Amino acid sequence: MLKALYIIFGVGVISAYTVASMLGWEISGGSRRQLPPDARQNGYRSFHFWHYGLHGGK
Amino acid sequence: MSVLVANCPSCGAPVEFKSGQSIVVICEYCRSAIARTDRDLKDLGKVAELVETGSPLDIGLRGKWKDVPFELTGRAQLGHEMGGQWDEWYATFANGWLGWLAEAQGRFYITFQYPIPEGVQVPSFDQLQLGQPVPGLPWPTPLMVAETGRATALGAKGEIPYLLTPGDTYYYADLSGVNKAFGTLDYNESPPLLFLGQQVTLADLGITTTRAPEREAKHIGAAQVSCPQCAGPLELRAPDKTERVTCPNCNSLLDVNQGQLQFLKALQKPWFQPVIPIGTVGDVPEGKMTIIGAMARSVTIEGTQYFWGEYLLYNPQIGFRWLVHSDDQWNYVQAVPPGEVEESTKSVSYRGKRYKIFQDAQARVECVLGEFYWKVEAGEQVRGVDYVAPPYMLSKEVSTVYVSDPKDASKTKRATGEINWSLGTYITVPQVEKAFSVSGLSRSSNVAPNQPYKHWWIYKYWLAFILIALVTGFLTLVATPSTKEVFSQTITLDPLPNEDGTQVFFSQPFELAARGNLEVVGESPVQNTWVYLEGDLINDETGVVQSFPIDISYYQGVEDGESWSEGEQNDSAYMSAMPAGRYVLRLEGQWEKWQQPATVTVKLEQNVIHGLNLLVALIVLSIAPVVMVIYHIRFERRRWSESMFGGGDDSDDGDNDD
Repeated sequence: MLKALYIIFGVGVISAYTVASMLGWEISGGSRRQLPPDARQNGYRSFHFWHYGLHGGK
Repeated sequence: MSVLVANCPSCGAPVEFKSGQSIVVICEYCRSAIARTDRDLKDLGKVAELVETGSPLDIGLRGKWKDVPFELTGRAQLGHEMGGQWDEWYATFANGWLGWLAEAQGRFYITFQYPIPEGVQVPSFDQLQLGQPVPGLPWPTPLMVAETGRATALGAKGEIPYLLTPGDTYYYADLSGVNKAFGTLDYNESPPLLFLGQQVTLADLGITTTRAPEREAKHIGAAQVSCPQCAGPLELRAPDKTERVTCPNCNSLLDVNQGQLQFLKALQKPWFQPVIPIGTVGDVPEGKMTIIGAMARSVTIEGTQYFWGEYLLYNPQIGFRWLVHSDDQWNYVQAVPPGEVEESTKSVSYRGKRYKIFQDAQARVECVLGEFYWKVEAGEQVRGVDYVAPPYMLSKEVSTVYVSDPKDASKTKRATGEINWSLGTYITVPQVEKAFSVSGLSRSSNVAPNQPYKHWWIYKYWLAFILIALVTGFLTLVATPSTKEVFSQTITLDPLPNEDGTQVFFSQPFELAARGNLEVVGESPVQNTWVYLEGDLINDETGVVQSFPIDISYYQGVEDGESWSEGEQNDSAYMSAMPAGRYVLRLEGQWEKWQQPATVTVKLEQNVIHGLNLLVALIVLSIAPVVMVIYHIRFERRRWSESMFGGGDDSDDGDNDD
């Protein structure tokens, strides 16, 4: 039983890795969003959709 | 000497020495042992009638050994001083060889006489030690002493190639070596006679037709007898082999001699009850075996007495085997030739496998039930040493008894004995239940000395998956298009309006292909300060936004005369492939020295080599095996906590069965 589970799990992990490699998918890919339609219509360069406040620093 | 036909000096019946090498012939009519001398025939006395041992061999049977045909021309039956007897068959070969075919407990040994090489000093019988190597013998492998004892000529039939005098005794030592080597030192003469050969099967001897069917039918079946003490019915399941039997009606211990039962002593009502009844037939891998006897044994370690049960299994075609039941764990046990086992200090080797010592103690028979092929009784003790290599256990039992010389009672008692090695194979409770058609046997929560760790398989699959993942990674690398730079620009961002302010940069549109991962690298010549960029990759057509951070910080200095540095003047971020299309890069920056402009070089590449996915896959594949490793270590600790040698620090017990 455990053996079958581990085999299924292992095959699944390797398959997932193979598919991810073929599709260029990165596990550390960061977040992905959709620009709101109004922002696109009004020009996203000036739209305050982006980021606010302090973002980084040591 | 030549073929000779003459009359028996005892009864006058015709006797014939068919083989020129025969010294003695047994008169078929009066059972006198007739020896031929240079001048005439000499009557050596009457031999006893042969005890029927159920042997598959018979005089006149033909076979072939090393392509040389032979015929069995004589048979002698020899008595062991500890009880029981064995047969020696004399094989006359077509090329003049004379072979001895010994038969004991269902095993066969063919030997030929060899001269002791000049200069080789064979130890005298009194010097012999069990287990002692006997160097210098003309045999390719070393031989050691496996048994010492005294034999008595009991009976004979046919032609015998030596001067067999009924009732005569002689001392002997059996030798054993690797590759089934077997030998005997016969101390009837000085220097002793040397016989060397090997253990064989009847098939090795080209003997396929064994005993006549009517003999087979007569001797394989059980025998119904009556107890001489209580007259109760008693069944002998191995009547040809049994030396001792206990009466199930009155608990008497009975001696079995040529099928005759003799009362020895009354035993107490047995406290030991076999969990599998005597008489049960089991279907084991070797064939069907019947439980004919059971005994309880014990060892005392550090003041605590530990008990276990042993079941004697028997099948006339297979011989004897044991089923050992200890701490609700089971082993199927069979004998192995002593010479096949190579001993060292804390381990032994058998057929290329190393066994580690586990226990060394004096084992004592506590209680016996049923039939046994030796004269067993409660109180019998042997030194038992167990070695383990799961799922196997090699056990050595050294039995030594002190016997007096029947010819000279004034002589000091002499030690005699034998070394027996047996190989136990761990079997699970369900396997025992299935084989013997029983149910409800207790399960143990402890780890048996040779219990295999049942999850060995995971290491093999782990290794296989790791290799497959690495190969897949390599193939992916080979198949991936070369890295392509899609954007690169050095950007100077104006000073910030205040400490919390940001500056934003938008790139010119650029094209991205599908199915190619992305890496953004930001580089800035910072010194003891930081620059932070929040990046967005925007699909100009669909509005999909992929965000990423670039955090550049680099600090350095000198402290206590030693220079140090921390961070890098660059940072990177990886992103999954975006749908093919036109993209714009948005960067929003913030930095510590906000009053000054910041310079950042940003590069975006597609189809980059990145091992994180592979690393994560390898880690995920390793989680279960690592858990199993921990469990395995605990399992081995539990096993070796029961050992008086305790050293189970390595796990080289490679066999597995799931």
